[in-house]
Amino acid sequence: MLNNSAFIRGPLLQAALLIFVAGMLYRLVRVIMLGWSKDNIPTMGSKATGITQSYLKGLLIFPFIPWVKNTFSKNPVIYLAGGLFHLSLFVVIFLGAAHMLVWKSLLGFGWATLPFPIVDWMATAGIVAMIALLIHRLTNPVLKLISGLPEWLNWLFVFLPMLTGYLMAHHLWLPYENLFTLHILSISILLIWIPLSRISHFIFYFFSRTIHGQEFGKRGVRP
Amino acid sequence: MTTQDAMNTFVKDTGGWVASQLEACTRCGICADACHFYTATGNPEYAPVWKVELLRRAYEQKFTFSGKLKLALGIDKKITDADLNHWSDLNYQACTVCNKCSMACPMGIDLGSLLAGVRSGLAAGGFVPEDLAKAVKLQLEEGSPLGMTDEVWEDRLEWVEDDWEVDIPVDVEGADTLVIFSSIEVMKFPTNIAAIAEILNAAGENWTVSSTAREVVNFGFYEGSEEHTKQFLKILLDGAKELGVKRIVVTECGHAYDALRWHAAHMLPEANDFEIIHITGVLGELVGAGRLNLKPGFYDDLDAGTITFHDACKIQRKGGHIQEPREILNLLAPESFKEMTPNREQAICCGGGGGVIAIKDADPLRFKSFELKIDQVNRVGAKTVAMACSNCRLQFVDGVGHFDLDWKITGLAQMVADALIEEE
Repeated sequence: MLNNSAFIRGPLLQAALLIFVAGMLYRLVRVIMLGWSKDNIPTMGSKATGITQSYLKGLLIFPFIPWVKNTFSKNPVIYLAGGLFHLSLFVVIFLGAAHMLVWKSLLGFGWATLPFPIVDWMATAGIVAMIALLIHRLTNPVLKLISGLPEWLNWLFVFLPMLTGYLMAHHLWLPYENLFTLHILSISILLIWIPLSRISHFIFYFFSRTIHGQEFGKRGVRP
Repeated sequence: MTTQDAMNTFVKDTGGWVASQLEACTRCGICADACHFYTATGNPEYAPVWKVELLRRAYEQKFTFSGKLKLALGIDKKITDADLNHWSDLNYQACTVCNKCSMACPMGIDLGSLLAGVRSGLAAGGFVPEDLAKAVKLQLEEGSPLGMTDEVWEDRLEWVEDDWEVDIPVDVEGADTLVIFSSIEVMKFPTNIAAIAEILNAAGENWTVSSTAREVVNFGFYEGSEEHTKQFLKILLDGAKELGVKRIVVTECGHAYDALRWHAAHMLPEANDFEIIHITGVLGELVGAGRLNLKPGFYDDLDAGTITFHDACKIQRKGGHIQEPREILNLLAPESFKEMTPNREQAICCGGGGGVIAIKDADPLRFKSFELKIDQVNRVGAKTVAMACSNCRLQFVDGVGHFDLDWKITGLAQMVADALIEEE
């Protein structure tokens, strides 16, 4: 186990990071290289305004003030759980003390973090949200139809680091050292998986949001 | 015409614009609840994400590492004729390309244009539903999918001029404005022709119609064939050029406006030589500038119950003319005009657009989705429903007949014309 854990925490994690960065760069460049046609149609409104509104809507209305959308009332679980999950991820990864130290060792500088109970509460909320999303995906007819092996793996590979991290922070189940190794292993799997999967939407989000803003903005319609 | 042609078109049309949006989809399924066909039936196959599935598979199999891997591992299969036939039903019968789904998408994916992309491939492969293909053929042969041949056009125009006592200038060289009607109006709502002529004459516009550029309906745009779309658009632009007009006004037709205003210049750069505007925009201008002598509160005085306005996907959400109808109705019916919810850019589609109304097999589906509209109108208690799209209007008229409703269905131009104060 000791040999394995040294491998997991060392070369495997490094290789996974490399695959993640190279894979995402490859996908980004490949999409950009497919070419972009010029839009020379006279506009009725401002594209810049549309883009600004599009991001404001994307970041604020989805999902934090969702009641303005009439689709929300039909599907509150996915809005609330989806939003909570992303918020939780952000808080734990960037504002949790343990993770900040990892960033500090990588970047050379650190920042203020939130107290453990708040981060812990957010982590719990994230895990509960993930379970709600899984149940939703298992029961909603549309999600059942559009979910194949990759979608189930997406859920699993995102859930494992959350679970192992939570167990580790609370000293549950296995000795801390072993859980730490499992945490790193699950993160390595996730990092390798991201460029192959739709979890990469965190990059392409910026394309679709911008396009959305342009398309509505040029027509003078609120996105 | 084969599956291969469809695939080639998918590949050809896939630039960064399409690819980045396909990549952004997280398969969350939220778009389903925005779709009137899904909401009305609960059939998960009507979820927009699933209608785009064909394009996504084609893209991944051709361009992405994971797509090729999935194909090699047997997780995904090659696209077959049966797939294309199936997705032809989903895309032509259960989608009006109204783009409401893009408003719901948390990633903001412009699903409407991706769905139009699916149609392009289906059209190239020859998977267009028979009724739609027949209409395209008619438009190619007779210049109109609704049988508006040269003689019919001349007869109808003459009849409108006589019966409504309006002047309709034909082929006036050097006119400022070319007005192009849709055959839906000429054949089914001739009062629209009279109304628009009355309004433009009253405002003193220097306008004309053309005997060549006379059919604004574009069934090539419905089927998704760039070749046919371009061909039909070219007739209009050539006609406009011949007469030397400055601007082209599209009358109460949604998809035709979308094609001419937002797509034509991508295929035919000369489209940018003209100002292209929808009649709703013109009405807004004329009313705003006080160039029409209208009777304020005209419809309140008639005391004919509540009036509501149906937003058409191609004229309001995708066309930008959201404000003008409100300004006009608040002038003509300040008391009796009431808004439906959701409305404006969030409006629910009539269910008949995108060519759906032309496909007989889609009738049960479009009536089913019209039930959403019935519910909306009844909630506001309206007795009159106005709109600026004759395709929506046709769907409403059909719906009123099918469900035996006591609503009056009318067009915005019609409402303005009726409220004109006759000058002695």
